Amino acid sequence: MKETEYAIEVEKLTKRYGDLTAVNDISFKVRKGEVFALLGPNGAGKTTTVEIIETIRRPTSGKVHLLGMDVARDKRDIAPCIGVLPQGFSSFDRITVRETMQYYSRLFGHRKKVDIDALIALVNLGDKAKEQYATLSGGLKQRLGIAIALVNDPEVVFLDEPTTGLDPRARREVWEVLLGLKKAGKTVFLTTHYMEEAELLADTVAIISSGRIIAMGSPTQLIEDNADYLVLTLQSVDEKALAVVGMMGLTPEHNDDGTIQLRVAKQDDIRRILNAMNEAGASFLGMDVRKPNLEQIFLKLTGEALHEGACGEGGAK
Amino acid sequence: MNHRVIGANLVVSIKSFYREKTAMFFTIMFPILLILVFGTIFMDDDKLNFNLYLQDLDQTETSAEIAQALESTGKFNITRVDPAVEAAQYAKDNKVNLVLVIPRDYEKAYTQYLQYDDLSAFATLRYVYDPSSSSVGDKMQILDMVFARMNQGLSAMPPLIRTAEVSIHTRKYRFIEFFIPGIIAMAIMTESLFGTVNVNTELRQKGIIRKLSTTPITRADWILSNILHQIILAVISTTVMLLVSYAVFDIALNINAWLPVFIILDVFSFVGIGMVLTRIVQEAQSASAAANAIMFPMMFLSGSFFPLEMMPDFLQAFARVLPLYYINEGLRAAMVFHDNLTALKYAAIIGAFAAIVFMLGMMVTRWEEGR
Repeated sequence: MKETEYAIEVEKLTKRYGDLTAVNDISFKVRKGEVFALLGPNGAGKTTTVEIIETIRRPTSGKVHLLGMDVARDKRDIAPCIGVLPQGFSSFDRITVRETMQYYSRLFGHRKKVDIDALIALVNLGDKAKEQYATLSGGLKQRLGIAIALVNDPEVVFLDEPTTGLDPRARREVWEVLLGLKKAGKTVFLTTHYMEEAELLADTVAIISSGRIIAMGSPTQLIEDNADYLVLTLQSVDEKALAVVGMMGLTPEHNDDGTIQLRVAKQDDIRRILNAMNEAGASFLGMDVRKPNLEQIFLKLTGEALHEGACGEGGAK
Repeated sequence: MNHRVIGANLVVSIKSFYREKTAMFFTIMFPILLILVFGTIFMDDDKLNFNLYLQDLDQTETSAEIAQALESTGKFNITRVDPAVEAAQYAKDNKVNLVLVIPRDYEKAYTQYLQYDDLSAFATLRYVYDPSSSSVGDKMQILDMVFARMNQGLSAMPPLIRTAEVSIHTRKYRFIEFFIPGIIAMAIMTESLFGTVNVNTELRQKGIIRKLSTTPITRADWILSNILHQIILAVISTTVMLLVSYAVFDIALNINAWLPVFIILDVFSFVGIGMVLTRIVQEAQSASAAANAIMFPMMFLSGSFFPLEMMPDFLQAFARVLPLYYINEGLRAAMVFHDNLTALKYAAIIGAFAAIVFMLGMMVTRWEEGR
């Protein structure tokens, strides 16, 4: 095992299933200790990529190294070093939380002694330790999955869509756990189609679309590099204000909460709009100027919405 | 191979089995129910007592001798029917399948025949019976035998043709003893086949196998722990079946080293078939449908329940291509007929089959996702 500053090195990775190219010649590196998020809509190639790195699938071509080991060759040496929360994690229905942890701990042997109770406490499942898996709610199951992924004190943790299908509260609870991992300095490889998740947790975000990485960097850097417009939000606008906006050739986006959003190129444009409204005697209550968020950047880069067709959106499973 | 990993798997699978109460009930209790039901239906002939309804129209001392002769066979509980009633109507009204009627002039005919050597004299005893009853034939056969013996005694000549029974087996076996090895073989087949199919498809569909493939457990560890789990279940279920059979039916079976040999071969054969099936049919529901399609012909056509001789020739020929047939017959050779040579022959055949199908199963069981 050669020493390297990178936990994961992916070089020209391609994966084909028959005629379908799921992952198309992608390359990236993940530094040790960072939280790396692969962000993209369903079907973009996130899971295929992460499963190749986890040694579940084999690459068609390209090189993938994990902690200096070749994933296609060194599967046996890699397994003890990684912790995996697979997509749609599930476990044995009739086995309790604590027994499940013991089971996975025994699979890894006593290479590193991990305190199972401490892990159960870390994911806040202490009072559920004697409950069978089948009786847990979606969020609790997911938290158990994360605890299992940590049972061998892995150097790299993979979390494939850890909050898909969870309601907003359960999602927040999972985020708390992930922030704890980040604080503990673990290398975390996260795939998600939730922009807020990537923005909140990740040091580096790679945006993947149709099997290709189209942008990569820290969340702020991605926004900085790609934000060539500003978003002006106005609250409680009247008819006159709308007329002014229309006269200036802008198309407002109406939000559910009654606000409108306008996309403008630069700061000067905002001043011009406000002046024009003032002259016309138009009224509005509040205003807010922001740079676009990752979701809008994503839309701009790919032309497709992140959440389009996302299943289980916002609902508990 | 890692014994710690195999141990961990065994603990999980046995706990899962134990906590899934309905599955456990059906796995353990279903064969027991079959044994109890079939064992009771085909209760031993020599232990069986027939109810016999007897109408004596003659009402003489001589006619009373017939009743005594019948009683002395020990096979009949005799109920007297009032001579005043009509026998057929009585049988209908009381749902009786046979009324034996001794005619009014029985003593007269008897005296005529014996004292005056009038060989033309005879008495006709009538069987008033319900042909739709299944056991009535047996009853009439026994009655025929009793009367033949009485006739023979009356003729005062020792019989010329006599018969002697020489069983090809060391002793006479009862139906229940024939039945139990078949049920053991069938129960283990069902558990191994469905256990494997269910575990493999369910865990694959739920993504548990995918998770496991990122841990140090290997495919060989996984398959070995499944086999051990099935062997443990098979031993438990066989023990319970035998205990119940001994307790309820007082069977006399020969329990020797062949029993574990056939249990293990049974498990390997059907776990192997289960693994091959799960590779071919990956959806859980279609997989259990396919397992059913394999199980039912095996169950009914390989001689688990009934001796093969009862079946038409082409079905007997078909039975010989079913693996369960060799387990049934091998177990019976060992447990009922004390025939080690036949047991060895069948063990060799099913052993070869188990080895092939199990290796095939090992080869096709996937651990990684599509490559």
